Amino acid sequence: MKKDPNKGYIALLGWSLNAVEAAEKFDRRYVVVAPDWAEAYCQEHDIPYVPWNFERLNDRSMEIAQTLKDMGVDVSVPLYEETVEWAGAINSVLLDNPRLLGQAMLMRDKSLMKRRAQLGGIRVGIFEEAHDREDVIRFLKRVNQTLLKLDGDPNDPIHLKAFDKAGCLGHRVIRTPDEVDAIPDEEFPSLMESHLDGWEFAVEAWIHDGKICFLNLSEYVTLGYSVYVPASPDLEQYRPQITQQIEKLIKTFDIEFGMIHPEYFVTSDGEMYFGEVAYRPPGFKVFELLERVYEGFNAYQATMLVFDPKATTEEVKAYFPKEVVDAKGHAGCFGVYPRRRVVSQLEIPEETEDHPYFESHELTAPMEEVVTKRTAFGTHWGLIYFMGDDPKEMHRLLKRQEELDFYV
Amino acid sequence: MSTTHSETSASSNLSLLLVRLDDAITQLAEAPSFTRPAKVPRVLDTARRVMMQEGGCAALGERIVTLEAAGIFAGTDWAEPQILVPGFTTQSLQSAQAELVVIEALSELRMLAVACGDYRHTLISAEQAHHFLTQVLALNLAMLFSPPSEAQRETQGRLAVLPQNLLQHLAERIGYEHIVDKLIEEIWRILNQRPIQTEPVKQMVTQIAICQVNPDIDLGSSGQGADRLVSSLFGPTRACREDPGVAIYLERLASMDATALQGEATGFARAMHDTGLVSPYHPVLLRHLLDEGDHLVAEAMGLSSTGRDCLLCYRQLVQALIEAAVHPQTAQAIYGLALVLERGILYQPPVAPALWRQLGLVLSDWSCQRLALAFGDQVPPQAHLIEGVLCMLGQPLGVGQGNNPTCQSARALSMWSYNDPDYLLQMVTWAARDDEIIMHFEGQPISSSESVGGVASSLPMDLDPVSLLVVPHLDRIYAEMGRRCIEREGDPHRWVNPEFHGWWSGRGFRINVDVETGKLWELDDFLRHFYAAYHPYYNGNQPLIHPQPAGVAVTDSAARFIGWHAISILRVALDPQDVMRVYFYNPNNDSGQDWGDGVVVSTAGHGERFGEASLPFEQFASRLYIFHFDPLERGELAQVEQQQLDQVSGYLQRSWGADRLPEGGLQASEGATGPG
Repeated sequence: MKKDPNKGYIALLGWSLNAVEAAEKFDRRYVVVAPDWAEAYCQEHDIPYVPWNFERLNDRSMEIAQTLKDMGVDVSVPLYEETVEWAGAINSVLLDNPRLLGQAMLMRDKSLMKRRAQLGGIRVGIFEEAHDREDVIRFLKRVNQTLLKLDGDPNDPIHLKAFDKAGCLGHRVIRTPDEVDAIPDEEFPSLMESHLDGWEFAVEAWIHDGKICFLNLSEYVTLGYSVYVPASPDLEQYRPQITQQIEKLIKTFDIEFGMIHPEYFVTSDGEMYFGEVAYRPPGFKVFELLERVYEGFNAYQATMLVFDPKATTEEVKAYFPKEVVDAKGHAGCFGVYPRRRVVSQLEIPEETEDHPYFESHELTAPMEEVVTKRTAFGTHWGLIYFMGDDPKEMHRLLKRQEELDFYV
Repeated sequence: MSTTHSETSASSNLSLLLVRLDDAITQLAEAPSFTRPAKVPRVLDTARRVMMQEGGCAALGERIVTLEAAGIFAGTDWAEPQILVPGFTTQSLQSAQAELVVIEALSELRMLAVACGDYRHTLISAEQAHHFLTQVLALNLAMLFSPPSEAQRETQGRLAVLPQNLLQHLAERIGYEHIVDKLIEEIWRILNQRPIQTEPVKQMVTQIAICQVNPDIDLGSSGQGADRLVSSLFGPTRACREDPGVAIYLERLASMDATALQGEATGFARAMHDTGLVSPYHPVLLRHLLDEGDHLVAEAMGLSSTGRDCLLCYRQLVQALIEAAVHPQTAQAIYGLALVLERGILYQPPVAPALWRQLGLVLSDWSCQRLALAFGDQVPPQAHLIEGVLCMLGQPLGVGQGNNPTCQSARALSMWSYNDPDYLLQMVTWAARDDEIIMHFEGQPISSSESVGGVASSLPMDLDPVSLLVVPHLDRIYAEMGRRCIEREGDPHRWVNPEFHGWWSGRGFRINVDVETGKLWELDDFLRHFYAAYHPYYNGNQPLIHPQPAGVAVTDSAARFIGWHAISILRVALDPQDVMRVYFYNPNNDSGQDWGDGVVVSTAGHGERFGEASLPFEQFASRLYIFHFDPLERGELAQVEQQQLDQVSGYLQRSWGADRLPEGGLQASEGATGPG
């Protein structure tokens, strides 16, 4: 697409083919900042590119900020958890706003994030940092004492999460002290949280000028397996309360622009508990699902738009569709894990393939026959996509997939 | 009611899928070039589901222009429809890889749109597309008319519905009459080469017979030419016209008088020599006639005076061969035997005793297993092997390599059968009895059982009985000979070919490719030398005495280089149109190949004998890269006219030589002319 020199020049931090495609089709100039393994591909396909290896921030960090500044780049957009702090650092230089780095660092540390939320009057569960296994056992006991459990009663589980990893990576559920022994040393330190019996869901919110311009609710059918958008009416009924919560979050974290991806629990009494928030596109292809249901909407372009300091309020307003009402259905995806220990081929179950909601899949034939045992939540082998009108049927369908074998 | 309901749900299912498909196509079309490959799988997968629905192929056909414009074929062989080969479709359509099946199917739907005039394609004409599709249908007739075979079901599962839907859609649009006529033509073309292996042809004939009796298929006026084919298999004579089964036929024979038997004998003989196919009834008659006198036996084999003489001289041997090897399951043995008698090779002193040895040969367990695995165990493995021996001796040019990279071994077998039949029988004995063959390379023995690996990575199964047992040994020996030449400079065939094939392979050797660089080398001298050694106008009108091994660069129908291939040159002579042609044997199963740039290998109609392939001398020379000659024969280069040589190197440079020109080009290549 023809680029408009009057609009912002945007750097994408991290490699995502879908993001590059969206940028290519958008009217803004862009450059991909990615590790040098992407170089050959970018050269071959004429994709604007600056090499950079994202490690921990270090004394060379200024270099990339300066490079982008010299190129005339206006803002950088993080695509992955690992590039969030880089975006903070770079944008604090590009936009001459040192606060942005601190904000990004906050977003990268789950423990700090929770404390900040708590200070802002947002409800969070009981949480603590764990430095070793003893901490975990103590926390497990204390949480269950608080719940007035007697010795011998089944424990309420606690959750253990890595401080700085995205989504389900490094997420463990612990019920008994025995399970604590299975945690490898390298997962410490980490964050422990009490388990909230409730409905977990995620939000994708685009913010411009400190205001929400689009708020999506992503409904999990089973965490780590399936999600669909827009959410069912059952969850959508909480939209006003959720919007309030997000506004609180924006204020607490002092967010002027960008795209945030928080997770919440809503308990049976309608109380919202904040889980965590990420300052980057969600995993599990929620962006792609949004594209499917909102005609002409591209979540990556939307993100670039709200980051762009040159974007006007009118342009932003015109770009976003109206939540839920403009959706032409519900789109969902399911992450496939092999269920058997030994698999030899990919075989989409007939009942899945013949379902009118079934749209496409991105599964590939198995590379190895023996399936490695899953640790924590692990990574799925690929997604299958569904689309249809009835959220109840979507919910049932996604749940049903958990019982089917895709690899036999 | 229930059908109406399921029909509506099927059609709403299809329309939903089509919405998804159109979505996927749009995404592909709008994607920047670098994400297109990532969008293709979804299009193919959705297209697959569409084509598995009733009416899906038609719906896809309507979208084929958009699909191609969106780039679905980009970067694949299918992007150039003009170079596609109908013969490959069978494999793609039966593949277990869904994406391959789908893209092949889409390509066929494109051909259909072009053939019907709905799609004006820049690379292929409506006539070409129509011709292509008739061949595709003929080649895949089995999938069109029968439910998926067990093998196909096993590899493809539900996917097997797709090729069937596709072929039915194509057949309905193209018309069944085109297919059957094309198929008949194809069968005759193959039969004209008289292959030893007739099973695939018999299957095609059976398909036609099934079509003819199926009231649902309207063949129109087509299929007339099928009568000879169908009857030669299922009812060549009056007493078996209605295909009664061999048991009933045998009963009928018992009550026949000499005249009736004579009629039966003539009928079978005519059918057999017309087609090269032998009906399972034929053995029943021949065995019956063994008690009725030599005259009728000769009649039943359709022997000429030469064959009859030979039969009378070797009466006992022939009787023993018939008793051992002629059964309804080994019917082709009759054709082989008849041709052995006609060739007169029994008059060569070692051949008859060698056949007696063959009759008494005790096969190794391994050989028995291999034969039973390939041909079943209804008759003893010995019978299959003798059938194979008779066919190979009778049809030296009918040897085929199957789907294996073992052209050298097949060529050797053919050459020995043609030239040195008792040597062939010796090889068969060693392989079948001892599981070992020992050949010598420059005085050193090479044992097939000690050599590690051959050219073929797995044991071939799709071969005639003799090849089945002998080729694995030959292949290992051939490869070992090659290994012993590794250190030497130049092409190993120089030493391997004469040692492997026989003393008559010329020790002189000429190659026009520099082995180091792959570039053409001394082309002009190479050609002049070839003319001087083989062309009757330049070699003192000396007909070729022994078949000579030679190497050709095989090219595809777009004249692109495919690979090096072993053939033997049999003779060089004027054809009925007074064109000087090279007649050669190609171990490939079907010699009739289009090598591109107007070079089309002929197998009939230009003076070819059964099994011979031929090309005009210049065209042949343009694909030749290795030949042998007798170094003691006249060595001077032929004074060939430059214009003629230019013609040859023109063909060469437009095909496999295009990217092999040495730096500075070929000398005197300016005069190259267009395709002839």
